Amino acid sequence: MSSPGPNPSVFAAQNSGALILVVERNPVVQRLERYFLEQAGFDVEFATDGLAALARSREVRPRILVTEILVPKLDGLSLCRALKSTPETQGILVMIFSHLHAEDRATEAGADAFLLKPIDEELLIETVKRLLALRQQSAGKDLDG
Amino acid sequence: MVEKISTGCAGLDEVLLGGIPENTITVLMGAPGTGKTILAEQLAFANATPEARALYLTTLSEPLEKILVHGQTHGFFDAAKVGVSVFYEDLGVMLRDSGVDKLPEIVLEMIMARQPRFVFIDSFKALNELVTTAHERRMITYDLANVLSSYRCTSFLIGEYSQDMMTELPVFAIADVILQFIKHSTNVREQRFLRVEKLRGSDSVPGLHAFSIKKDGIEVYPRLLTPPAAPLYAAQVERVNTAIPGLDEMIAAGFWRGSTTLVAGPTGSGKTIIGLHFICEGVLKGEPGLYVGFQENPTQLGRIMAGLGWQPEKLMNEGFELMYRSPVEMQLDEVTSELFKRVREGKIKRVVIDALGDLERSSIDRQRFSDFVYALTQWFAAENVTCMMTYELTNLFEIHGLSDQEISNMSDNILLLRFKEGEKMERTMRIIKTRGSAHDNREHRLEITSKGVVIIQAS
Repeated sequence: MSSPGPNPSVFAAQNSGALILVVERNPVVQRLERYFLEQAGFDVEFATDGLAALARSREVRPRILVTEILVPKLDGLSLCRALKSTPETQGILVMIFSHLHAEDRATEAGADAFLLKPIDEELLIETVKRLLALRQQSAGKDLDG
Repeated sequence: MVEKISTGCAGLDEVLLGGIPENTITVLMGAPGTGKTILAEQLAFANATPEARALYLTTLSEPLEKILVHGQTHGFFDAAKVGVSVFYEDLGVMLRDSGVDKLPEIVLEMIMARQPRFVFIDSFKALNELVTTAHERRMITYDLANVLSSYRCTSFLIGEYSQDMMTELPVFAIADVILQFIKHSTNVREQRFLRVEKLRGSDSVPGLHAFSIKKDGIEVYPRLLTPPAAPLYAAQVERVNTAIPGLDEMIAAGFWRGSTTLVAGPTGSGKTIIGLHFICEGVLKGEPGLYVGFQENPTQLGRIMAGLGWQPEKLMNEGFELMYRSPVEMQLDEVTSELFKRVREGKIKRVVIDALGDLERSSIDRQRFSDFVYALTQWFAAENVTCMMTYELTNLFEIHGLSDQEISNMSDNILLLRFKEGEKMERTMRIIKTRGSAHDNREHRLEITSKGVVIIQAS
């Protein structure tokens, strides 16, 4: 799941500037995520608990939501389920990014990708790009169909 | 499964059952001059590549220049890697300006700038001295651990810590791995040991492991342990002869292959020659043999062999191997490490250790030596190598006991040599024990002739 689907080479320039909402309570991890994601050309916003992230997702519809499982008020897996069960937010790509070995639980919750911490910047950026490319590819197919 | 990184030292990887777990924090502790920095740099250079960089942060213990100068005296140091794969930075200077409380922040900035897979802080303990309160020390250590654990890097905190600090300082609580470097002094001799104090989430070989600092860095000799599986003796016992006239006939089934025979006796009683007989007979039968000696150097041994009609050069070409070590500055586990290597590489079938007492004197405690001999005999049995060990008794005539170390219990067979008092000093030999075989237990005359040892059967 850390390498979702095929490996399309259609990651396009329009993805730079895509908004990524990160749910993370650890300030050090926040700094590292912001640094590496912004360096790769993404816009990054943070929420420090699950409920705030859910509300912000409804408001701004980020392309991707990256969430730790262990976050206050609403855990990352429940947040993922909530997003995926609502038509208006189910299109948001969800990546579970956690210290917990919970790949199966992430899949059950409907997550699009799972990554194990600590941060490996190359893996993080590569996974984000693949998710976006996959989404573009499926959007293209929808239009064709 | 936890991925492990090599320490750059095969013996230490063996002790750690593969190496240091990735993405962990390791404390390298020990008195000054024990080899911590050498191991840290050895590890950095062994693992660092342009894609997996190492960040080596010096503090206030040794200036960066000194670390570089010393590092370059070792074979592992590759100057071409500096600034490409291994990055040295002087953290001490930065902390002097900003204050030690900024340590986690500065390390985080450096991680973001260099994106290293390996981080070293040397010395971390020296930074403790800049901290004024225990509370501040705990907070800084906690925050640093958070930084090092948040990013995918394997970290090493090096310090001149002693054992009693382990319960006091928070650095030991955040450590996943603790390796302790120990210098053991006995009179004028010094031996170095390494111990795994903590290895979270993984097993390791317990106890003290000897190591030495060589040109290519640290070499660890894992402590000899009893093989995990007890050796299985074949149902059909294979006889291993000595070709000493009169001796083989005294044992009904002969010496078993894989057995250990102790040859004990005072100086000059014929122990070394019996050992040479044993090895030479094996070589003549196509069984490579290793003679491990600590007293006679190769020239002296060659002279003894030639004097008894053997041709040392010819035997050496046909499978007689000699491993000579001076008993001065000898380290038990280092000898064992080389012995095992040579047994495996040379497909050795027979080994003579001449003499056990020299190994005993290189051991730091008597219990350790006893355990060592037991493990050694079990290792030989598991490898199907037949071994003869000589043991020097101090009294020429009165034999009170074979050894204090219960070595006799660990040997399958025991040959006791002694002198008989009289007008003419006469050598004798008696078989005290043969495990699993009947034997002639009478005392027989032993003569050393121009062709070696001969047992004259008592009438």
